[in-house]
Amino acid sequence: MDTVSEKWPVTKGDFSAGNPKSCIAVVTLASSMPLFEKAAIWGSCKTENLGAEKVVMNVVSNCNIRYVLLCGGESRGHLAGQTLKALYENGIDEDGRILGSEGAIPFIENLEIETIQRFRQQVELIDRTGLTDIDEIYSIVDNYHDSEKPFEASPISFRKAVRKYKPPESISADILISEKVVMDAFSGLIYEIA
Amino acid sequence: MFRFQKDQKIANIAGVKIGGNPGELPTALAGTIFYEGHDIVEDANEGLFDRKIAENLLNSQRASSDETGNPCLVHIFGNTGQALRNYIDFVSEITDSPFLIDSPDPLARMAVAEYVSEIGLGDRAVYNSINMTIGEKERKVLKDSDIDSSIVLGFNAMDSGFKGRMQLLESGTSSMDKGLIDIALECGMCNILIDPGITPMGNGSGVSLRITLAAKAKWGLPVGSGIHNAPSSWEWLRDKKKHDPLVFKMCDIASAVMQQAAAGNFVLYGPIENAPYIFPVAAMSDIMIYESAEEFEIEPASSHPFNRLI
Repeated sequence: MDTVSEKWPVTKGDFSAGNPKSCIAVVTLASSMPLFEKAAIWGSCKTENLGAEKVVMNVVSNCNIRYVLLCGGESRGHLAGQTLKALYENGIDEDGRILGSEGAIPFIENLEIETIQRFRQQVELIDRTGLTDIDEIYSIVDNYHDSEKPFEASPISFRKAVRKYKPPESISADILISEKVVMDAFSGLIYEIA
Repeated sequence: MFRFQKDQKIANIAGVKIGGNPGELPTALAGTIFYEGHDIVEDANEGLFDRKIAENLLNSQRASSDETGNPCLVHIFGNTGQALRNYIDFVSEITDSPFLIDSPDPLARMAVAEYVSEIGLGDRAVYNSINMTIGEKERKVLKDSDIDSSIVLGFNAMDSGFKGRMQLLESGTSSMDKGLIDIALECGMCNILIDPGITPMGNGSGVSLRITLAAKAKWGLPVGSGIHNAPSSWEWLRDKKKHDPLVFKMCDIASAVMQQAAAGNFVLYGPIENAPYIFPVAAMSDIMIYESAEEFEIEPASSHPFNRLI
């Protein structure tokens, strides 16, 4: 059975893939540190909403990842580290709010509650927020990178939602472009009037 | 280029006018100082910094503004109430420009809202921002403060598409009793500046441009954004920066033109160091936008770059 989604990492960001078979993902929060290739994925997470979502997506799409190490300096105000810990410990409510997060706007918009549950089941969070000693971080990765079997489930795949264009039910001339051409600001339609 | 059917409101913040139809007023530009990673900051919690360099940066922005006619604001970022207080004391001594109070920590923002009221600077402060996480405490602090200008952030983390953001501004989310514009009015804000919220490229960065048009059509309020945050979080461009920093800078600065072309009235252009580049770019756009709107009987303000630089 495949343990890693096709085209993993499934979402791009300020992080790099190392060995996809590794058991550990490293989130360096607001710090930037050179990749240690024994980690599955390695990079920063600075925001409490889209940043946290990306971490979850890249973890649940690779069943080999069983540990997530939080290290590096906390992202001020956004509190991405505290938010990831809250997400792991408490999950989200039906509105997507990350329970227990003290970050600025802590919401998960694009993932289902089941995906968050899967993240919480699949990995163990190692919270070393504030740790910037690269040797110690490498040592933790060294200890964990081949310490566990893959999570027993299929990797979750993500498809970009296709948004269908719906013609507006009614249009109005909010914006004048010329004597005979107007624009409906809400639908974005530009049209000619008789 | 176009004209809105609805009357466009003009905010007046300590003499700086923001809003109107395209071509009417020059775009207001706010450079950020003491931002995360700003090398003049020595202690981000205490608010200690190199005062000489900071003064030069503020003066440089002012000089650019005086040259092109685009009004300037100072976007002050701080992590703590203490830091923000120090920054405001300094900025208000050096310049008479309005300033934005920005912190991701609501406690820091609230502490400073009270502080600027105490020291008589409420009329020069722009609260950044009233957003979807505002609670009763923050609402009360703002209501009791002398601040009457605020950014209203349309970013809806539960539904970041066009409809979700418009709904947040108009009627709020399921966990709110009303929309953000009504909340801002209740908090005593006379000058409401809508910021649709910029998300990274690949996560709907362009939605804010549509919201700019729709919000102006619906409410007639001034709209703008920190649109440079879209290219500055673009991984491909950050890679290019390693080889040629100018490429990054060009995209960062040029993004302002997109906001202006979509009828934006203000731009939070990011690092204040970019003032000597952003003001000419914005002035160029303002002139072309005015010339596209001449037939709508739009009169450019006397300070408009068209009247100053042509």
